[in-house]
Amino acid sequence: MDAINEVKNPVELSDGAADERDTQKGKYMTFKSGDEYFGLKIQYVNEIIGFQTITAVPETEDYIKGLINLRGKIIPVIDVRLRFNQDPFEYNDRTCIIVVNVKSTVVGLIVEKIAEVVEIQEENILPPPSLGRVDKIQSKYVYGIGKTGDSVKLLLNPEKLLNDDDISAIEQANEMNADEEREA
Amino acid sequence: MAEEFNTEGMLDVYLFENEQLLERLQEIVLEQKDADCFDEDSINEIFRTMHTIKGSSGIMMFDNITVVSHRLEDVFYYLRESHPENVPHLELVEHVLEVSDFITAEMDKIRDGNAADGDSTEILAGLDKFLELIKNGGEEKNSKNIPENVHEEPKQFYIAPVATSASRFYKIHVGFYPETEMVNVHAYKVVYALKEIAEDLLYFPEDIIADESAAESILKDGFRILLQAQCEEEKVRELIGVGYDIEKVDVYQCEANEFLQGFDFGNNNTQIDLISSVAEIESKTQEPSEEGNAENKEPVKPAMQPGDFVIKSKEPGKAKKLAKDKAKGGEKASFISVNVNKMDMLMDLIGELVISQSVVLQNPDLKVPGLNLANFNKAAAQMVKISTDLQNIIMSMRMMPLTNTFQKMNRIVFDVSRKLGKDIEFEMVGENTEVDKNIIEHISDPLMHLVRNAVDHGIETNEEREKSRKREKAKVTLSAKTEAGKVWISVEDNGKGLDREKILAKARKQGLLDEGKPEAAYTDKEVFQFITKAGFSTNEQITEYSGRGVGMDVVVQNIQAIGGTLDIESTAGEGSIMSLKIPLTLAIIDGIVMKTGDSSFVIETGVVKEFFSVTEDMMIHEPDGDEYVMIRGECFPVLRLGAWYGLKNCKSDVEDGMMLIIEMDGKKICLFVDELVGKQEIVVKPIPAYIKKVRGLSGCTQLGDGSIALILDPGGLVE
Repeated sequence: MDAINEVKNPVELSDGAADERDTQKGKYMTFKSGDEYFGLKIQYVNEIIGFQTITAVPETEDYIKGLINLRGKIIPVIDVRLRFNQDPFEYNDRTCIIVVNVKSTVVGLIVEKIAEVVEIQEENILPPPSLGRVDKIQSKYVYGIGKTGDSVKLLLNPEKLLNDDDISAIEQANEMNADEEREA
Repeated sequence: MAEEFNTEGMLDVYLFENEQLLERLQEIVLEQKDADCFDEDSINEIFRTMHTIKGSSGIMMFDNITVVSHRLEDVFYYLRESHPENVPHLELVEHVLEVSDFITAEMDKIRDGNAADGDSTEILAGLDKFLELIKNGGEEKNSKNIPENVHEEPKQFYIAPVATSASRFYKIHVGFYPETEMVNVHAYKVVYALKEIAEDLLYFPEDIIADESAAESILKDGFRILLQAQCEEEKVRELIGVGYDIEKVDVYQCEANEFLQGFDFGNNNTQIDLISSVAEIESKTQEPSEEGNAENKEPVKPAMQPGDFVIKSKEPGKAKKLAKDKAKGGEKASFISVNVNKMDMLMDLIGELVISQSVVLQNPDLKVPGLNLANFNKAAAQMVKISTDLQNIIMSMRMMPLTNTFQKMNRIVFDVSRKLGKDIEFEMVGENTEVDKNIIEHISDPLMHLVRNAVDHGIETNEEREKSRKREKAKVTLSAKTEAGKVWISVEDNGKGLDREKILAKARKQGLLDEGKPEAAYTDKEVFQFITKAGFSTNEQITEYSGRGVGMDVVVQNIQAIGGTLDIESTAGEGSIMSLKIPLTLAIIDGIVMKTGDSSFVIETGVVKEFFSVTEDMMIHEPDGDEYVMIRGECFPVLRLGAWYGLKNCKSDVEDGMMLIIEMDGKKICLFVDELVGKQEIVVKPIPAYIKKVRGLSGCTQLGDGSIALILDPGGLVE
């Protein structure tokens, strides 16, 4: 299929599936958390929903705020500020939840303020600085720094954001399930 | 070019179709196992089924399945054409079941990605012997007149050509060992291998898959191929390979014009010429007659040239045949299979629809005084009706009749009773009862245990029955019914029943009896419950089927796992009834909704024994913080849900809240919650995997107002 697409001329491509990838390329959903602006590759973002009641789940990490009901599908939500070890903030009805899909794990991210969708060219993305405060707190999640105009966005690696530990926990859980199934 | 040989998608279809065919086959066979012989329709249907399986397995190149189904097809072909008498019916039934088991086992292997390598020789030998037997048995009447299994006229068979100057032309002759089974399938394999390199390919006989006579002709005359390809002779030989089945391969390179003459039936001279040059080892005398035959069959057809045709293979026709056969076999309603995920999604959406409906209908904006809502209410009522219907439909879509499960039991009774030499009648009642698919998967094993037990332990041997003057035929009844939102499945036998004394003695030996309690004080029910304990079997002899003492406890465990119960009734000398009471579905449970702090929780209604409010003077506080509550002289440990999960805003004074006694695995604890909301049916959903497993929680659900409640796992709490 790829070979065929390559052969096609660009005009034809403009209304194909490849087009979607194209328009999403280099675009970032930016939001504010604390004093910094963060960017998330737009293809990870499913949708943005208004704040809704969160059902707390006991015995979980602080940043996992609980479960929400997304049109019949129950998904977990995490608080990005708490995730970055920033001070908690008060939720209000302007607070938004960004629903992301990372490797088929659907999670809601509670962010302070949604900014805009910006386009950042590859050449404007720098590796994160190796020194400084930013590094200590966020470089775990930040894979690059994007320059747009005169402002700077910290570009997030969503897999790390959900935490490598968390991902491995999911894998463990899946393994456990698989084991149980085998035993059954 | 060779799309139809891309087996990826085909394999699924193949497995699915054959599975259905085999299921249907078993059904027919078991339906008529007690008759004296199969009726006409069944023979036809079994024959067709086997033919279809043979055909599709041939295409998929599962040789051993092809061979076995072919042999059984032969048997039924004989039955169909010759109507022999004195057919040992039960033996035939066993043969059919044996073949069906064999194929099922092979298909399982295929499904798991393994090679279908089962050894079919024993089955084949058995079938051969059987066919011999019925042929002899029916000889007096129908010694002759067994028509040849003739199939449709052969057709030319070409593969699309792409001739280039670099192409070489080959005449190939493949000779098979005379004892080769299903030689046409082997020939097909050769063709399949050559297709990889072929620019043009022509072979004779053409109709190698469906035409039985092709096999004979191949064995007799060899298999002839004309090949146009851009490769060396060596490569061609390598592709054909000389395996256990191929005796001899001759490859001759030839000229293009010679090649183009092909198997030109319009020109007899060339034809014979060609053949004689290709097949030197063949006896010339047979050639003209053979080819002449072929010519006679297709006199009107214009001469065909290789290159005139683009893929004219047998496969599309085969597929049609499959479809046709299935339509004939299915007097049942038509079905489509749907991905379960889509069903779940639909269910989620309908749940959501119901909630948003209530949001609309109970919207505060409607409460404004002075509004005339008559029309609105009418429309609303209609909408509620439709959404309720929708909900019912989606629930019923998950339901499946127990028929298949019951059929399997029929099979078990048949097998076990034949082996044990017991003469048993099997009756099914209410096999159309519908149960959630999940549940069916869970009850199949327990049910099998119970049925085996009934046949093996329950029913006496024929001699014993004789002795105890039991007139009526030994009988096992499997019945199902729905009642009060539960499914009742019972296995009833009219055998010897449970021996109370024997069980008591065994229980005494294993130290299961309560010291202080006299044996007479045990009710029958209590006594019978002992047999569900692990390692408890009163059968002195271990048989192939039961008696190892692992049966009943496993049954009970499996049943409990899905929230069911097992009830045992028995009268010595008259038989016993084992009844399973199982919830209709796992997806919906009947739950008590309660609140603690800001969170809602749900617990399964079945485990809640009692609710009550307590006063402070009923509480007992231990210095280390443990609490107990004294109720009617019984002391229960107290679990404060709020404190346990560290919830905020929950009540601390026991007099403000509510106590629930929950019982699980014989342990009772008291759960302290803030308030009870009510009892309702809830749809169980898993907690997203992203959140690590939390002790005492088994899932979550949506309440009527769209909020989420966590489902408590009583097992985890009691622990």
